[in-house]
Amino acid sequence: MVEYLAIFIYFLIATGLAMILLGVSFIAASRKPDPEKISAYECGFDPFDDARSRFDVQFYLVAILFIIFDLEVTFLFPWALVLNRVGLFGFWSMMAFLLILTIGFVYEWRKGALDWS
Amino acid sequence: MNSFVEITNEFTQSVEQSTELNFQSFLFENDFKAVLPELFLVLASLFLLLYGVVWTTSASTGYPLLLRNVNWLALLTFVLTAIIATNNPIGHGVFFYHTFLLDDVTFFFKMLVVIGALSSLLISMDYLERESINGFEFALLLLLSTSSMLFLISAADFISMYLAIELQSLCFYVLAAFKRDSEFSTEAGLKYFLLGVFSSGLLLFGCSLIYGFTGAIEFSELSKIFASLATSGEVYSDKLDLNPLSVYGQEENISSLLSTSSWRGCELGMIFLIIGFLFKLTAVPFHMWAPDVYEGAPTAVTAFFSITPKPALLVVFVRLLYQSFYDFMIEWQTFIIFCSVASMFLGSFAGLAQHRIKRLLAYSSIGHVGYLLISLCCGTLEGLQGLAIYLVIYIVVTINIFAVIMTPLRRTSHSAQQHQGVERIKYTTDLAMLAKGNPLLAATLTVAVFSLAGIPPLAGFYGKAFLFWAALSSSQYLLALVGILTSAISCFYYIRVVKIMYFEAPQNWLSFSRMSKESSLVLALTTFFIVALMAYPYPLYVASHKVALALSM
Repeated sequence: MVEYLAIFIYFLIATGLAMILLGVSFIAASRKPDPEKISAYECGFDPFDDARSRFDVQFYLVAILFIIFDLEVTFLFPWALVLNRVGLFGFWSMMAFLLILTIGFVYEWRKGALDWS
Repeated sequence: MNSFVEITNEFTQSVEQSTELNFQSFLFENDFKAVLPELFLVLASLFLLLYGVVWTTSASTGYPLLLRNVNWLALLTFVLTAIIATNNPIGHGVFFYHTFLLDDVTFFFKMLVVIGALSSLLISMDYLERESINGFEFALLLLLSTSSMLFLISAADFISMYLAIELQSLCFYVLAAFKRDSEFSTEAGLKYFLLGVFSSGLLLFGCSLIYGFTGAIEFSELSKIFASLATSGEVYSDKLDLNPLSVYGQEENISSLLSTSSWRGCELGMIFLIIGFLFKLTAVPFHMWAPDVYEGAPTAVTAFFSITPKPALLVVFVRLLYQSFYDFMIEWQTFIIFCSVASMFLGSFAGLAQHRIKRLLAYSSIGHVGYLLISLCCGTLEGLQGLAIYLVIYIVVTINIFAVIMTPLRRTSHSAQQHQGVERIKYTTDLAMLAKGNPLLAATLTVAVFSLAGIPPLAGFYGKAFLFWAALSSSQYLLALVGILTSAISCFYYIRVVKIMYFEAPQNWLSFSRMSKESSLVLALTTFFIVALMAYPYPLYVASHKVALALSM
């Protein structure tokens, strides 16, 4: 556990440094806001319509797929570390797991979940 | 001399290696034979998934829907699974490091689940086509959830139990929201998801409490731990004597595995576990999701929900209560008696106010869960036997009723005699004058509904009588009394359905269109079962007795 102390200190220093950088520009730079400056930037025009727009389900699909394959990787990590201990049985168990996931992947592929047209 | 030692060392090493290898290669050899039905079901559904998705998205064949095709293949899979399960050479044992067990109980309930899933798919095929619920995934979700229920039935520890319940629930959430263009279905899916996840959380918290206090997750280990505590007498001395010193005095000569505080912790965990299960079984204080989900989900899904999961959940629940937590019986008995009485009351009284037929059936099923819970409170062999008998009869009757409800009907407006398209049955009044239009169907539904109400010559009466008899013989007079009272009350709304069918003139005339061949076959078989069970109840009686014996051991 003790090796995490350095990372924790590193994290603290990084946060502090970021605060300092922000703070310096906050103190040193000149700030004179007016309505034109603080309005939303839309290529020089005024915004045409409501900022709300229909959410594309593709983003959601990608997020879900990421979660699924992320989980797959978390299962692969311990397997990869102890592969010489678990032998052929462990190897084939993971292959079965991967096969099931691959079938799911083929399903997504054919369904067009990965198409961005 | 030195070389001799080396040689012997080498020899022993080689022997060790070979035994290790042998051990490794023979490990799980029989275990995979034991899970053959489940394995087949999972592999077949994976195959069907590939088959379905490849064909439905192929441009060269013109994007076929494959609904009927995949449904029939799924039915074939169910039939083959049942055949494999019956012919499996391994009938008893514990497999996969105590995660999976097989005995007479598992076989009985697995067949019940497979047959229930099969017939619920059979009766809903026509409905799915008519409602244009075109995803071939419907049948696959049915297959996958059935396989998870099979795993649930043979679960032997908390982890396999929880994983099986989760796989099953996950399929169910998707199924409840399967009709995406219907607001009700989406709402039902969301509601079911939230409450299901909540109940799973409770279940998991219960499991982790018990694991934390005992260090065991296997049902058999837990029973040993609790039994050793109960026989050591510590708990009872703690309960009888209010003076804590007397407990401390005894502690020296008691070699118990648990301290009193751990016992309390296990009790708490058990209560959470029971609440989780009662949520899933829609027993009363935890029933609120059931009517909305039953109402909102497509009728085919409602049929599946009300037919299939109950046996799987109940058998694990009974296994837990009667094997692991039998020494806690005094605690859980009162809790389940309360839930049983409340379910029976709510099922009968709330059903009185319902005019939508699926809601009515939801409340009726809540009431029937109450009757099923009676059998858990008895703590006797007859109680468990009553549970098995009642469950079989209830499932058969539910299949029958849903086969009728999924029959399409044509609504004719009163003024202009024109067809207004094919609809489905929503209200109980939609059944009006069914007796004139289709007398055979009306008679069938009457038989089924009377059987639910428990009218004498039908199967439902037999089940209820057996349950009440078991309750009386184990001195649960309150439960028997409430059961009889509420079944008399619920007769009112069951008979109202019959009255609507036979004597009420409808505002808009309806005619039932032709029933599909599969549905009518299922309907005929189930009606025959309901009517004829009284004549030859011995096979069911013997099978359920065997189940009860195996469960109570």
